Amino acid sequence: MAIPIEWYLVLSAFLFVIGAAGVLMRRNLFIVLFSIELMMNAVNINLVGFSRLHENLIGQNFVLFTMTVAAAEAAIGLAIVTALYRNRRTLMVDMFDVMKG
Amino acid sequence: MVEKILFIVFAAFAVAGALGVITRSNIVHGLILLVFTFINVAGIFLLTQAHFLAVIQVLVYAGAILVLFAFVVMFLNLREFQQEEQFHRGQKWAVIVLAPIMLAEIIFVVTAVTWASVNDGFSPEAIAAQGGNVKVLGEQLFTKMLLPFEVASLILLVGMVGAILLAAKEDRESVCLREWDDDDGVTPSLVEREV
Repeated sequence: MAIPIEWYLVLSAFLFVIGAAGVLMRRNLFIVLFSIELMMNAVNINLVGFSRLHENLIGQNFVLFTMTVAAAEAAIGLAIVTALYRNRRTLMVDMFDVMKG
Repeated sequence: MVEKILFIVFAAFAVAGALGVITRSNIVHGLILLVFTFINVAGIFLLTQAHFLAVIQVLVYAGAILVLFAFVVMFLNLREFQQEEQFHRGQKWAVIVLAPIMLAEIIFVVTAVTWASVNDGFSPEAIAAQGGNVKVLGEQLFTKMLLPFEVASLILLVGMVGAILLAAKEDRESVCLREWDDDDGVTPSLVEREV
């Protein structure tokens, strides 16, 4: 096996932590959505790396389903963004405090 | 050896692009850096002998999803948000301190564990002998993973209906229509009218 599995896991950890940091510290709703996509990509790298380590294809098949969910999530997320922008005229996430969460 | 060097190059570019996404204030720049990251991840998939996934990564992520994002970014006028504060004030410093700690923890665990291979018999050579990555992946998708495949189609349907429902204008309360102003005759004006 050419590339050690740890390399995949470390790269995935980098992307996941960057995505999580983006979700937590950015105010712009778009960047939050981008960061969620980054985190999903990190998971995909893990799945593909383990699929290569274990020499089966279930991991690669599962990535297809992750991408399906990511596409649906992006569509619904953007619909929510347009609805929020229409109602509140802002995209800064700390302005959406109707539910006092 | 070449594979390892390429992996490091792709990984470095992907991480740099991801860092750019969460630090740039211009959303369009962030979008382009996100495409850059996704294409580098597709390169990683190629190095892992996941050919079909590399193509799908470019097609679905760097193609469809990013075009969707770009469409909405240009659809809404976002220039006004660039002048605003981009980060949560207190939370930013907590994240800057805690994120490297979380990263160090994950890397420590990942390198401490010894990963044993199950070896299910689908090595790249065996896959090539059976007709290639796409063929073997497709056969598994439509035999072993048939039920998840059907559920995925349901998820896409729900996503489509949900997106239309959320983004559609609520025309029960008010509808925005273009009416001709009678006074000066030619200028069209947008009128919010109760129905």
